[in-house]
This record gives sequence, C-alpha cells and structure tokens, in this order.
Amino acid sequence: PGSRRPEHRRETARFWRENRAEAALRERCVVPAEEYECFLRTLERALAEHERQEEERIHQMAADIREAERRQRETVQAALQVGELYPALAAPWQGLGIMQSTLTGTGCAREGLGAAGDTSYVAEQPGPSGIQTGPDLAWMESGQALTFIGHQETEGKGNVHTGAKPPWLTEEEDETKKQIGPSYEEFLKQKEKQKLKKLPAERVGANFDHTSQTSDSWLPSFGRVWNHGRRWQSR
Amino acid sequence: MSLLLPKLTSKKEVDQAIKSVAEKVLVLRFGRDSDAVCLQLDDILAKTAHDLSKMAVIYLVDVNKVPVYTQYFDISYIPSTVFFFNGQHMKVDYGSPDHTKFVGSFKTKQDFIDLIEVIYRGAMRGKLIVRSPIDPNNIPKYDLLYQGI
Repeated sequence: PGSRRPEHRRETARFWRENRAEAALRERCVVPAEEYECFLRTLERALAEHERQEEERIHQMAADIREAERRQRETVQAALQVGELYPALAAPWQGLGIMQSTLTGTGCAREGLGAAGDTSYVAEQPGPSGIQTGPDLAWMESGQALTFIGHQETEGKGNVHTGAKPPWLTEEEDETKKQIGPSYEEFLKQKEKQKLKKLPAERVGANFDHTSQTSDSWLPSFGRVWNHGRRWQSR
Repeated sequence: MSLLLPKLTSKKEVDQAIKSVAEKVLVLRFGRDSDAVCLQLDDILAKTAHDLSKMAVIYLVDVNKVPVYTQYFDISYIPSTVFFFNGQHMKVDYGSPDHTKFVGSFKTKQDFIDLIEVIYRGAMRGKLIVRSPIDPNNIPKYDLLYQGI
C-alpha cells in the first residue's frame, strides 16, 4: 500500500490533465492513505466472514443429506426384516401417497415391499441421495423388490440400446447352408402352397391335416363298402 | 389349468426360437426360476399361455445360461421380458425409460393379455413399436441409477 500512494497521485493528476477536469475537484478525489488502509482491513474481514458462512451452509446441507440417507437405509432394513418374517403382509402395488405419509415409520416398508429375492443387493442400495423424501422413494412403491443381477458390461461390444448386431443374427457356429434366404426345397414347398390357395376352398379334403399322426389301424374312408343304405348316403 | 412353460437353456435354442416362431408373438422371460418376482410372473405366464396360444408362444430363459443375451439386452433386473414377432424385436412404450423390455411382473393376468393383444395387432399392421395398454401405475418402477454403482 505504501508504494501505491505516489502512483495514485500521479495517475489522478494525469487523468485530470487528460480530461481537463476542474483542478479544484482533484484533491477531493484523491483517496487518503488512512481511508485506503481502513478499506483493506474491512474488506478482509468481510471476506472471511462470508467464507465462514458459506462453509457452514455447505456443512449443513451435507448433514441433511446424510440424515436423509440414514433414514432411507433404516426404512429399507426394517422392510426387509418384516418382509422376510411376514411375506403375507407384503402387499404390492401401494401408491405414492402411502409412502409419503408413513416415511418415518416402518409401516410404509411393510406395506411397500415383498420378499426380496436377493436381499444382499437390495440392502446395500440406500437409494438416490436427495433431500426430498417423497417421490425419490418411487423405486419402492411398486411392491416388487426386483433382483439386481449386475450392470451388464459388454466391453465395447454394444447392446440393444446402442444398436449392436443382435446375437440371433451372428452366425458363429458351423452352418451347412451358406445361402441367405429359403433353400430350394423350401421354395418348392412354397410354390405348392401357392397352388393350394388357388384351388376352391370347398373342395374335398381342403382341410386335410397332412401332419396329423394316425394309428396303425387307421383306414381311409371310401364310403359304404358293405353297401348298407341309399347311394346318396355314401358321400 | 396351467401348463409347465418350456425353457430355453442355450444361445442356440434362443436363436432357434427367434428365427422359427412364425406369425405369433414370441415371449422370452429372462430370469431365474427360483427368484420371487420371477415366480409371480411365471405364474401369470403359465395361466394365460393356453388362452393366448393363437397369438403368442412363451419361453422361460435362465439369465445365467445365456450371458450373450443377458448382455445384449442389458438385463440388470430380473425378471425382464422381451417380445419378438417373426424374428423382429418388438419395442413397447410402457411409460418407463426402457422400451426394449418389460421389467418386473404384471399386476394381473389381464394386463399381460392386453399387452400381448396390442403387440400382436401392432405387429400385424407392421409396427415395430407399440404403446402399452397397461395403466402406468401398474408398471413396476425400478431405478436405472443403480447401473452406475
């Protein structure tokens, strides 16, 4: 600060000259040394005070978050215990309203969760860290503790979301047919089917099931071998 | 009357089902037979399979036996159910973030029946993605955030 005094006077003088300001005003604009010192001290104090307040606020927020997480963990633990002891009490499909109103008790957990299939995973997942306590517990509301089987790492191969090639189209094993599309015999079968469609639907045997299994004693019906009844009855 | 649902135990069998089931919705339930929610879902599938037999074919797939598919469909929660029609993967908008599969169980048999009907009709009209008819309140909620942990 000491070195700034002469520089300050010089710069003020220069400014006055360049802008042709009223000389009488200049003295009043020069900042006295003591005032400057005072300003510096006040500034330091204000800054320290502000930083302290900010830190305190952040610590408070962190404490709130930790508290919310703790409560969520406890609720899940209680739910698991009750769910395992009394699976009949675990009623699925409770709505959000119940979760919000009974958050602090174990009541909500009892109503909200079924028996967990893989309890170790569910127990270690306290839920998203958030100060809100209602809607963020939506993962419990459905009453189904879904078994988590792990994040599916594909090591760069991609999956259905990234549009990778589906496994049923990747021919890794030995396939005798290299051609794409139906084989020649399938093509012939298809031609036969087309011909069939052109025949009248009321023709005899149109509904014949070629693939049905028949017993050894089956015989085709060819009408009235032993000639009982009228001729028209042989249809 | 509930029938025992058929199971697919290898990638090859799953491939075969996808490529050969024709003109019907193919339903693949990925999960584990002993898991609690899978049991709930499998019960619904078994009880409706007969009534839906003209529109759908249902198989159970053990996630441990087909790691390629578990990875490809990014199955982190079980049960997860995937739908196909004539070899094409059918997507459904349930109002949840993932349209590629149904996660969890259905609330009622009717919900599952309604869903199959919508998928079947959509597929017949050439749609590759359909809107789920199930009330969003009955769709299980799960947290995709867990994937990063």
